[in-house]
Amino acid sequence: MSLDAHTPMPGRGFADRILRRGPLEAIATTIIAAGVVMLMQPFSLTLYSWSFATTLFGTVLFTIVSKVRE
Amino acid sequence: MSIANTAHSVVEPSPNTRRLAGSLVVLYAVVTMIPLVWIVLTSFKSPDDAISYPPKIVFTPSLEGFCNLFTTRSRQTPEFIRTLGPPQGLCDDIARSRNMVVAGPSNYVPRFVNSLIIAFGSTVLAVALGTLSAYGFSRFRVPLKDDLLFFILSTRMMPPIAVAIPIYLMYRTIGLSDTRLGMILLYTSVNVSLAVWLLKGFIDEIPREYEEAAMIDGYTRFQAFVKVVLPQATTGIAATAIFCLIFAWNEYAFAVLLTSGNAQTAPPFIPIIIGEGGQDWPAVAAATTLFLVPIVVFTVLLRKHLLRGITFGAVRK
Amino acid sequence: MNDLSAPSRITYGAVLVRPAVVRRIRGLSDKALAWLFITPTMVLLLAINIFPLIWTIYLSFTNYRANRPNAPVKWLGIDWYQTILTDPDIWAAMQVTAHFVFWTVVIETVLGFGLAFLIDKKFRGHGVWTTIILLPMMLSPAVVGNFWTFLYQPQIGLFNYVVAFLTGHPASSFQMLGDVTLSPWAIVIVDAWMWTPYVMLICLAGLRSIPDYIYEAAEVDRASKWRQFWSITLPMALPFIMLAVLFRGIENFKMFDMVNLLTGGGPGSTTEVASITLKRAAFESWRTGYSSAFAIILFVTVFGLANIYVKALNRVKSR
Repeated sequence: MSLDAHTPMPGRGFADRILRRGPLEAIATTIIAAGVVMLMQPFSLTLYSWSFATTLFGTVLFTIVSKVRE
Repeated sequence: MSIANTAHSVVEPSPNTRRLAGSLVVLYAVVTMIPLVWIVLTSFKSPDDAISYPPKIVFTPSLEGFCNLFTTRSRQTPEFIRTLGPPQGLCDDIARSRNMVVAGPSNYVPRFVNSLIIAFGSTVLAVALGTLSAYGFSRFRVPLKDDLLFFILSTRMMPPIAVAIPIYLMYRTIGLSDTRLGMILLYTSVNVSLAVWLLKGFIDEIPREYEEAAMIDGYTRFQAFVKVVLPQATTGIAATAIFCLIFAWNEYAFAVLLTSGNAQTAPPFIPIIIGEGGQDWPAVAAATTLFLVPIVVFTVLLRKHLLRGITFGAVRK
Repeated sequence: MNDLSAPSRITYGAVLVRPAVVRRIRGLSDKALAWLFITPTMVLLLAINIFPLIWTIYLSFTNYRANRPNAPVKWLGIDWYQTILTDPDIWAAMQVTAHFVFWTVVIETVLGFGLAFLIDKKFRGHGVWTTIILLPMMLSPAVVGNFWTFLYQPQIGLFNYVVAFLTGHPASSFQMLGDVTLSPWAIVIVDAWMWTPYVMLICLAGLRSIPDYIYEAAEVDRASKWRQFWSITLPMALPFIMLAVLFRGIENFKMFDMVNLLTGGGPGSTTEVASITLKRAAFESWRTGYSSAFAIILFVTVFGLANIYVKALNRVKSR
């Protein structure tokens, strides 16, 4: 399943204008970074417990988002 | 920009700034070299000089460290040593002065040879596979190209211990534990990612027109690759090979976890060189010196391409 | 970029040799060749990296032990993940890792950028000195790290001697590797010594990528050197600094060899970074299922960071 930048894709509408790759990637990056910080912070065991789920979610999101067209 | 031009440019630092910057950098360089110089000095010290306090900078050079590195010795009574014939060689002479006789060669040479075989084997494989893939990624439209390239890079970033667990089980099942072939395959898989990324950068810089001209002259794509692209990419291939070589040469984590004897390389061996009553530091230093010399030579050869190598070919200066 | 674009090539070819036909006779099509070139690498990576990874994921849900291969394997679901993620000891190991990662990255960035800034002044002989500075990062962390244990010896070590000489504390009064408060810094020092050149080299590329005319324009505007540094030099070198910081962060997060040889995690567990904990669980206690789960946690973290790293890489590439 290749998303080639040159093939026109039908149905570009409202969602496309909101869900742009740049901001979405920034969100995913922030979530990954938050997960890493949660993993290594010395303050709360609860945050540590949820760090892996956060990082995993951020990574999956990043992988999906990088498929969204610019 | 010509030299005459830069000399008058407003952005050029003044001679005083330059002198200050120069002396600070030289100061850092000298400090950073001290541990390396100390390794070399220690390798030529006698065991007593090596552990003297204060540390000795001036000392009588001795080859005892190198002798202890290459031989195993056994302690004997002076009476027994007197019954032996004349000492055979320098190392025997040194050993006898300490009431010992040389019992045989140590394991350092086989470990060093293992390092050589595994490093060169994995480098050749990684560069061969890497050149083909890099050309493929550079010249052809490959579906999911970016994902494949990221996948290739991410394999290099995996924590070695995390990879070692299943590799240990897998190699045990298929009989590759503690074999050179197993280590060569493992290092190839780690190096091939670097090779693909680096070589893709180098091949991207070769104009496509060269191959296309050759293909108009009747070459097939493959012939054009062999006869036009490969010669153009020689520098890049050499630089990549040196990077792979240095990685495989330096690698420790996989080697210490997955090899124990037959295929053990030098890095896990050097820390366990021990003499009577603790680590034999001159011997360790001698082993370290011999181990580091090739890397120093290669680093000097590679200095123009270092930046590319450490950024997977992204930064070219 | 490419003068002979696809259509013109066909025109040339059609006139001369009719490429499609010739290619079919004489060799493989481009598409076949592309796959032929890429497949061997992919097969190798699938066999040595991806297959083991999937196996690790499977093992992380079981109670398998590598030293008892014939014992029945029980499916445990996500039990190990819950155990690890609620274990204060593992949490402590992550904080040891955090201390190591944070301080090495800070020290290496400050020193590395400073050095790059100085080298960028292009004093006489800067090429030679740069090469000398770069040496430590090319050497084996294990072999050199092992030698540092000698430099750190309290009685006979050069490091202790120099510190004693500079500060007046007796050389035998402190143990860099045996002291609970000093040992985390002992590993930071060796790592900073090795990897500052790495950050320096990337920062240097960043500084050199700033075109002269920007500074010339700033001079015309009478901006002070201090202002030029904060509003031109630093922002424009920032993508490069980020690249170096991310890579050092990832590398030190999974640091094993140097720490294993310097302290082996000790004294106690004061320098037990995540990789050492993992190695102990996997290759000393042989809790394979448990350590597989821990490996996956570390792996996902590194994988997430690698995504960000490649993003940073592409940003630098476009410069």
